[in-house]
Amino acid sequence: MQRDEIPPGTLYLLILKTLARYGVLHGYEIANSIQQSSDEVLQVEEGSLYPALQRMLIKGWVTAEWGVTAGNRRARYYKLTAAGRKRLAVEVSQFERVMGAITRVIQTT
Amino acid sequence: MGELMRRLRMLFRGRRFQAELEEEMRLHLELREQEHAEQGLHAAAARRAAYQKFGNATLIRERSYTAWGWGWLESLIRDVRFALRQLWKTPGFTAAAVLMLALGIGANAAIFTLVHAVLLKHLPVTDPKLLVRVGDWADCCQNSGPNTWHNGDYSMFSTDTYEQMKKNTPEFEELAAMQAGFEYRPVVMRRDGSQEVAKPRMGEFVSGNYFRMFGLRAAAGRLLSDADDVAGAPVIAVMSYVTWKDAYNSDASVVGSTFWMNTRPVTVVGVAPEGFYGDRISSTPPDFYLPIATIPDQAGGKGFRDPTQNWLDIIGRVKPGTALGPLQEKLSAELKQVHSTDPEFTAADIAKTHLVLTAGGAGTQSMQKDYASNLKLLLGISGLVLLIACANMANLLLVRGMGRKAEMSVRTALGAMRGRIVRQLLTESLLLAGMGGAAALAVSYGGARLLLMLAFPGEQHVSISASPSLEVLWFALGVSMLTGVMFGVAPALMGAKAAPADVLRSGARTTAGGASLLQRTLVVLQAALSVVLLVGAGLFAQSLGRLQHADMKLESKNRYIVHINAQAAGYKDDQVAALYRTLEDRFHAIPGVVKVGVSTFTPMEGNNDGYGIQLVGQQDVYRDATNIIVNPEYFDSVGTRVLMGRGITAQDTATTPHVAVVNEDFVKAIFKPGENPIGHRFIAGGNAATPYEIAGVVQGTSYTDVRKIGAHPMYFGALTQPSEAGYAGAIVLETSYPVSDMEQIAGRTLMGINPNLALQKFERFDAQIADQFTHERMLATLMTLFGGLALLLATVGLYGVTSYAVARRTTEIGIRMALGAHRGGVVAMVMCSALLQTVLGILIGIPVAYYGVTLVRSQLYELTTVSGGALAVAIGALLVAACAAGIIPAQRAASVDPARALRAE
Repeated sequence: MQRDEIPPGTLYLLILKTLARYGVLHGYEIANSIQQSSDEVLQVEEGSLYPALQRMLIKGWVTAEWGVTAGNRRARYYKLTAAGRKRLAVEVSQFERVMGAITRVIQTT
Repeated sequence: MGELMRRLRMLFRGRRFQAELEEEMRLHLELREQEHAEQGLHAAAARRAAYQKFGNATLIRERSYTAWGWGWLESLIRDVRFALRQLWKTPGFTAAAVLMLALGIGANAAIFTLVHAVLLKHLPVTDPKLLVRVGDWADCCQNSGPNTWHNGDYSMFSTDTYEQMKKNTPEFEELAAMQAGFEYRPVVMRRDGSQEVAKPRMGEFVSGNYFRMFGLRAAAGRLLSDADDVAGAPVIAVMSYVTWKDAYNSDASVVGSTFWMNTRPVTVVGVAPEGFYGDRISSTPPDFYLPIATIPDQAGGKGFRDPTQNWLDIIGRVKPGTALGPLQEKLSAELKQVHSTDPEFTAADIAKTHLVLTAGGAGTQSMQKDYASNLKLLLGISGLVLLIACANMANLLLVRGMGRKAEMSVRTALGAMRGRIVRQLLTESLLLAGMGGAAALAVSYGGARLLLMLAFPGEQHVSISASPSLEVLWFALGVSMLTGVMFGVAPALMGAKAAPADVLRSGARTTAGGASLLQRTLVVLQAALSVVLLVGAGLFAQSLGRLQHADMKLESKNRYIVHINAQAAGYKDDQVAALYRTLEDRFHAIPGVVKVGVSTFTPMEGNNDGYGIQLVGQQDVYRDATNIIVNPEYFDSVGTRVLMGRGITAQDTATTPHVAVVNEDFVKAIFKPGENPIGHRFIAGGNAATPYEIAGVVQGTSYTDVRKIGAHPMYFGALTQPSEAGYAGAIVLETSYPVSDMEQIAGRTLMGINPNLALQKFERFDAQIADQFTHERMLATLMTLFGGLALLLATVGLYGVTSYAVARRTTEIGIRMALGAHRGGVVAMVMCSALLQTVLGILIGIPVAYYGVTLVRSQLYELTTVSGGALAVAIGALLVAACAAGIIPAQRAASVDPARALRAE
């Protein structure tokens, strides 16, 4: 199966959306759910999630809390904040605007 | 805001942050590995796949960390730590560099602190830029008649002149007047109802609008008003803040309370604002401000109401936008008008009459005048010392930089970026400079204290603070940083630039070179500057010696001077004659007392009371002369010998002819050579009614300044005859042996005569003379200090360069010795090069010193050029220093073991 790198700048969007949908997740779960939701098409260099999460922590879009996994391991769980939700809306509308524009360019004959 | 807080929180839990990130990533990798394993991959493959998917963990860790934006701080801390380690490893270098900077910059900052305080600072008043002083030089304390010594330029005015100017000059928003010589006329103060002893205090008589002109508000109570400054108004005073705080513990009840000033009641109505130290920088600032109108009653200021007596400084606040040129013309014209009504002034005098307006923001500036040239000289000297320190610093850093060439090459070879190396070196230099700057601040504080002590020995209330101002701080920091960066980074950079392979290959194998030309030049420069400073130190010391040993034509051994204020004690014109007699009798009764002189003031006291002199029958001969009235024993008591005729005797009384004894300078100034002055008559201060007849001639004893010996005309009247002088205020006691408790005895004797007759000042005659040399002593001491400092720095510099050269040439010296060179020869070789640099420096320094002397000639006494003695001492000191600096490295060179030196290859 062919796998594609995610378009640059959309990592935040993906993380925000994933957290919005599933609530509280740790890093590994975020990576998995992005992959699954995209039907295994989008491939994230998994490590790059972590710097991104740190940046989102700084911005206050997410908060982190230590918890315990189903397999009884300690893990850091991330949760969307109100600011994060707002940001998601911004990112989504931005993305749609860009995508719409690109689509229009491509489809013009 | 929240973001900054989050970032800061992260900063303080850095270690935990790393651990948590590590754990999180590990979990991720393990879960992924587990997933792959469950999918059927065996262990090693599962792990590899997990890592592959994860990406470069180290990079991710770093990116996660730097996301928080503290990377620069971390690397800075690392740089500083590394730099500290480097400096710690070379304690000798670090200590020398810090010390050098501390002394060089500290001395500068200390002097600059004083220059700033004395010359540049405005009075702490409202809008000082609008203040204008009427007058441009420091005149004191009271005089009259045409001013010939400043060529008709007046700076001190009479009460009447002030009133007229105030009335006729609407250009001034306020025009205020203040007593020019209050420092010489303390008032005696005692709080009513308290047990405190009456003490002499500084009281300055000022016009009613004085505080309003400065735009000041009272710290307590009220300040003076115009209504206080009219004849017949209730007598009031304003206390200074310092006096209120120190002497009266900021007691609020002081305001409104009665004080006894010179035996009369005065109500203190308020306290001047904190920080206000009067209208001039003074070592004895006013304790009380009193309205001018009360001076005839209170201080008994004889003649202060006289329209011809000048005794006031004038400062005004001009209306914004006033042109000073026309204003100056206008005031000069007013002054001419005043003088034209005074019969003492000839038409020529009136034509010359003028005044000059100057900026008044810094006050009346008597101290500025006194100290300006000294401070400028010191500033120049300390600049030279800074130059030497910088040259030295440069040398040290150059040596260090070159020594680290190999280190830089290794780092470059190992892949260090140029920028990173420069940053590291910069950190090190700045750290060093910072330490030097901090130490310099300490030195500057101590130095400024020392300067103040030297300049004002024994004074408590100098309104100059020794703590460095902000400007000084920046100055010190800036200079040290600049030096550090310029000389610390450049050589190292040059080192880093060289192809690493070349440098590493050559290693320590250098034969030629040794110290570079730049280094040697710096050493020569230091030696040259040291010569200049040492010659200067020698000259100022010589000048001081000559001043102190000049023939002042007096005797100071076993003599004591007691100051009283008869006016302050309430004596009237018809009572002082009896007082003088009592003083003579009572002091004569003290065991050991041989002579009792009574006079208005004494030799080398600094006081002066000048009048215009005209010979009767020769109206065109006009001179200024100083007047003193004395009792019969006065001349003997101070050691002035009578040269012709007679001195003042007990037979000169109110009913006998009006006589004067003049000094030899008076004769020289007024009479033709060979002419007999005895019997000639002259009038003083335009008082034609009572001319003096010259009865005798005495030696020209020095009264104000040793430099004026031979050119200070004086005439002495009898205490008991009418004169223009005020009451006698000085008693000179000559004893046949030293009396250690004379001060207590004198105090008791005065108390016995009249409890109000407080002892205002007591001094040994030789101490009073020594006080007149405070400036000169300060200059000589400082010059010696700076000269010594320069010598020390130059020695250290020479030592540094020589030992560096020896270290670099170890191999070469080893070869020479292996080939048969003697130890003595090696020592000579090293010493020769050290001495050569010193001699070069001396040769350059000598002409500079000769030139330098022309700049300071005015501050030297009886010396016009470099003296042989000073030059010899300077050269000798420098050569000895050079030998000292050269001998240690030379011996190190001589003890080089040829075999070891060669093996080190």
